Amino acid sequence: MLSVKNLTKSFQSPSGTVKALAGINMDVETGQFVSIIGKSGSGKSTLLSMLGALDIPTSGNIEVDDQDIAKLSSGKQTAYRAHKIGFVFQQYNLIPNLSALENVMLALEFGGVKSSERKSRARQLLADVGIDESQQARKPSRLSGGQQQRVSIARALANNPAIILADEPTGNLDSETGQKIFDLLHNLSRSKNTTIIAVTHDLDIAGKTDRTFRLKDGKLTTI
Amino acid sequence: MNVITRGVKNSLRSPMRSGAIILMLAISIGLILSMLVARSSVESKINDVKATTGTSITINPAGVQGFAGGGNPLTSAQVATISSTTHIVSATTTLSDQMGASDTNLTPSLTLGSFGARQQRFESSSSTETAPNNSATVSRPAPTPRIAVTGTTNPNSYATNGGSLTITNGATINGSSSDLVALVGSSLATKNNLTTGSTFTAYGKTITVSGIYSTGNTFQDSGVIMPLATVQTLTGQAGDASSVIAKVDSSENVDATVSNLKTELGSDKVDITSEAQQAASSVSSLTAISGLALAGVIGATIAGAVIVLLAMVMIVRERRREIGVIKAIGGTTRKVVGQFVTEALTLTIIGAIIGLSFGVVASGPMTNSLVSSQAASNSAGAQLGGAGPVFRRGLNQLNTNLTKVQSSLTPQVFVASIGITLLIAIIGSAVPAWFISRIRPAEVLRTE
Ligand SMILES: Nc1ncnc2c1ncn2[C@@H]1O[C@H](COP(=O)(O)OP(=O)(O)O)[C@@H](O)[C@H]1O
Ligand SMILES: [Mg+2]
Repeated sequence: MLSVKNLTKSFQSPSGTVKALAGINMDVETGQFVSIIGKSGSGKSTLLSMLGALDIPTSGNIEVDDQDIAKLSSGKQTAYRAHKIGFVFQQYNLIPNLSALENVMLALEFGGVKSSERKSRARQLLADVGIDESQQARKPSRLSGGQQQRVSIARALANNPAIILADEPTGNLDSETGQKIFDLLHNLSRSKNTTIIAVTHDLDIAGKTDRTFRLKDGKLTTI
Repeated sequence: MNVITRGVKNSLRSPMRSGAIILMLAISIGLILSMLVARSSVESKINDVKATTGTSITINPAGVQGFAGGGNPLTSAQVATISSTTHIVSATTTLSDQMGASDTNLTPSLTLGSFGARQQRFESSSSTETAPNNSATVSRPAPTPRIAVTGTTNPNSYATNGGSLTITNGATINGSSSDLVALVGSSLATKNNLTTGSTFTAYGKTITVSGIYSTGNTFQDSGVIMPLATVQTLTGQAGDASSVIAKVDSSENVDATVSNLKTELGSDKVDITSEAQQAASSVSSLTAISGLALAGVIGATIAGAVIVLLAMVMIVRERRREIGVIKAIGGTTRKVVGQFVTEALTLTIIGAIIGLSFGVVASGPMTNSLVSSQAASNSAGAQLGGAGPVFRRGLNQLNTNLTKVQSSLTPQVFVASIGITLLIAIIGSAVPAWFISRIRPAEVLRTE
């Protein structure tokens, strides 16, 4: 259960204070697949960074399983990111000099998995998202965009997170590949009962999620 | 995979750049080692020099220098006082005399020349002083060259190079005996066809030649060396000495010892000459080299640290996004910093291995060239000598000191350079670590 109350976030910029989020309220049930749409600059990434404890809100509460994320120390924030959250980025953001397998093992290391178990778990996670053994040994630069995004989804799932936050996960992919990635996320939310919050431009995709929100001028409305 | 292996792996991520960084580090670490070696060998030489150079004090009877001047010889009591003065570790006692035609059957090997003739122009008791241009009224016996006789407790003190006297034939003599034996200078020996075992007459006694010596100094090679007691007996000056050369334990104590001797012997009774000045200048040039080497160590250390620092700052900036991602997926700042420190250490250690091997090879020649250039400038200023054999010997000794600095690579020096290397890596990583801690993970969600 994710519960956001009166969440605001302001940035100080040379041209004055930018109010990126102006009082967000939302509740998401565990295992729901939620999409957020909105114009560029409407605050979608800012909202995800608050939910993922990458940044601290200006005011308001974010409760995940009765724990207030907004008030964590920076050490607890890191632990929360390692155990409870999985990120999927538009640019995949895999570590370039590590193989696909090592990228997933890295997340397992941060999640506190014993080193002897990391390799076999990473292989399983990659197999689950459709990356075969020869692809697992490759560096990200030798994988296609769709394959890289699959690896990054495997990485996000590594520590069985409560929530997966995906910022335009299909934004860099052609529509066919994007559709496959979306289906992959969809199936995972079903099979693992993982809450997924995905930001997207693609209204086709948004239409197939459990719920869709629209962000406009820092405010959230249900569609 | 863990922090360490990722750090090591990252250090070789861009081979060209890593190679350049390693090369620069290797050069500065090699320099550090060479400079440390230079410094330690020069330091140990400084102590050596203090113990050996400029530690001799020459005590002459007041008013006497060589065969010139006038006064009474040193007495055996004075000689004993000198030997028992604190800081004096050894003393060579010498009694010099000259033999004329009536004293010996030897033919002098020196020709008198106009210099010798002038020195002897006062010698006849019957001569009357007249103006030089009025030569008709002057009546003097024809001057003759003489043979220098040195009675010494240590024949080696007669060497011109500060070492042992070179015996070209036969054996040296025991300076503390009173036998009727002599070492004969090579010129004099040639002139008189003397070899080991030959005999000659001196002061009415028959003297046996024990050996022939050669110093390369024409004056010295025309003389005779005998045990001190022998000369004292032959010349009827029992216990007397014309000069004592005393060795002090360290050049630092020379000044104090000189003033001690002056109060004990009376400054009106003796003239004292020391090489303290010589030693001070020898040590000061060595100290300058040591200081130079230390400056080199510090400079190369700073250069090395700056190389690592700039390289790591550059790498951190370049991998800013990657660092943000690692933080976003749950990596702690400590782990990221650990990874970068490992990377810096790997580069530094590879640089150190190359640099230290280069330094081990280069430090010897480097120390020698540092020191010999210093010695060359020293000897240039030393040519205006002529102040007598004491000072010439001092200068010879000084140049030997400088050129013979042994470049010693001790384990301590090696450990010190490894310590400095680690210091470089740590200093070079500290600033990048601070940059790393400031990278906000939220940045990874920003698309430009
Ligand atoms: N670190 C920041 N400093 C200043 N302004 C920021 C910062 N992050 C986001 N903003 C501003 O907040 C607003 C929302 O940004 P963002 O959440 O990235 O929008 P979206 O992801 O919907 O395109 C924008 O106006 C953006 O310029
Ligand atoms: Mg965005």
